[in-house]
Amino acid sequence: MSRFLIVVPPLTGHTNPTVAVGAELAARGHVVAWCGFASFLRPLLPDGAEVVPVGEDLPGDVVSAIEQRSQGLRGAAAFKFLWEDFLHPLADAMVPGVDAAVRRWAPDVVLVDQQAVAGALVARRHGLPWATSATTSAELVDPFAGLPKLRAWVDDQLRAFQVEHGVAESDADPAAVRFSPHLVLAFTTTALVGEDIPFPGHWAFVGPAFAGRPTRTPFPWEWLDPIRGAAPRRPAVLVSLGTVSSEAGGRFFRVAVEALADAPYQTVVVAPPALFAELGADGALGDRVLVRERVPQIDLLGRIDAVVTHGGHNTVCEALAHALPLVVAPIRDDQPVVAEQVVAAGAGLRVKFARVRPTDLRAAVDTVLGDPSYAAAARRIADSFAAAGGAAAAADHLIALASPGDRP
Amino acid sequence: MTADSVLADVSAMLVDIVGEDYLLDLEIGMDTSFNDDLELESIEFVTLAEKLTERYGEEVDFVAWLAAMELDDLIAMTVGELVTFVASSLAAAGPAA
Repeated sequence: MSRFLIVVPPLTGHTNPTVAVGAELAARGHVVAWCGFASFLRPLLPDGAEVVPVGEDLPGDVVSAIEQRSQGLRGAAAFKFLWEDFLHPLADAMVPGVDAAVRRWAPDVVLVDQQAVAGALVARRHGLPWATSATTSAELVDPFAGLPKLRAWVDDQLRAFQVEHGVAESDADPAAVRFSPHLVLAFTTTALVGEDIPFPGHWAFVGPAFAGRPTRTPFPWEWLDPIRGAAPRRPAVLVSLGTVSSEAGGRFFRVAVEALADAPYQTVVVAPPALFAELGADGALGDRVLVRERVPQIDLLGRIDAVVTHGGHNTVCEALAHALPLVVAPIRDDQPVVAEQVVAAGAGLRVKFARVRPTDLRAAVDTVLGDPSYAAAARRIADSFAAAGGAAAAADHLIALASPGDRP
Repeated sequence: MTADSVLADVSAMLVDIVGEDYLLDLEIGMDTSFNDDLELESIEFVTLAEKLTERYGEEVDFVAWLAAMELDDLIAMTVGELVTFVASSLAAAGPAA
């Protein structure tokens, strides 16, 4: 039996895959706890999950950074903001709490999200074996190709962070707090990231890990099949910009509704209903578009034929696991990279988030639904995900890391 | 080649990349910002590099120019800076260009 401490940032998409891995470890008799902000973590974790908090609530500057990020920064400005105003202050805020958690809880292995660099610094400080949880694939390949000064800038941030927290200048290697030298769990497969890239041997491509998250969100399932019994039924399309970006998506949502209002599909748009003045009480806009604030996404994907998304890694992987073709409209951060992976794999098309017109979006949806090659490519990736093992494979690797004597 | 004619060239390339429907409210000028005004995406920078090479040849090494940019320079980059870079590259290459 080993003790695993999972250090996560206050980001839903970075936490959810660890929930599945934690459940798998617990089912095999190991002890698991999550280390982060308690008020953020509790709603995402199963009842009874142990939280070793670095604090109850997020610090004010981190909260305002998250809110500001959702507003519309893009490109290089978004990149600078991510590190300077979010990840670096977050890491500073988390170091003392993670350190106390490690002392008190005494883990055998620390699993550290790739953006929670405080966890890596503390694991190194205590000489503990640690693994990186790479819940998005954008940084698995060089995201700075062509822009070396950006890499140098991030490296300066990571070096300064370590020195501020007592690491000797000579030991403050920027790479040391990004990717573990012991184990990197990549929640994707090379079928999506790229087959021809030489990855280090301690990188494990385990595929996405989906938690058996409780879905208490109600949904009018009969709406998807309005002409009951008609064969074939109308294809169903899901439009979602994930948990972080839906506020900034007003224009995009309106374009999507205009594009798909008359299309021969049943379209579910996950958006704030306040965006649409003409919305019926049941969320219907005409008989072919339904707007819902929340949906039981995993259950819904089983009934959907194509997904329009901003390219958040979890939504993309959930759609691909269901062998669904995609239309990706990346906004910022890792999303352009994820979108390119989808396009390169043949599983979808990319449109411009800020500038796509209804006719462009309609054409893209028509294409990914009408040309079977997109669904076939999505099916290939779904098969690769299933073969990769997901949470069970991740647990195998972590358990091996905890018991070095047993390592092959 | 004068800065004015380079500006005309570069503007035409950007209209082509971005799509003129989106530029109705925006006249591309020397002060137009790539990040805030044009919201040029990384994949569109690749297209711009190809168009610049096609138009001016190897003397205008846009990729190397971009690679030398600091983060803050990238965020603040304007059409005017690109025009100045192109014009000076052409001048350095000599009158044949």
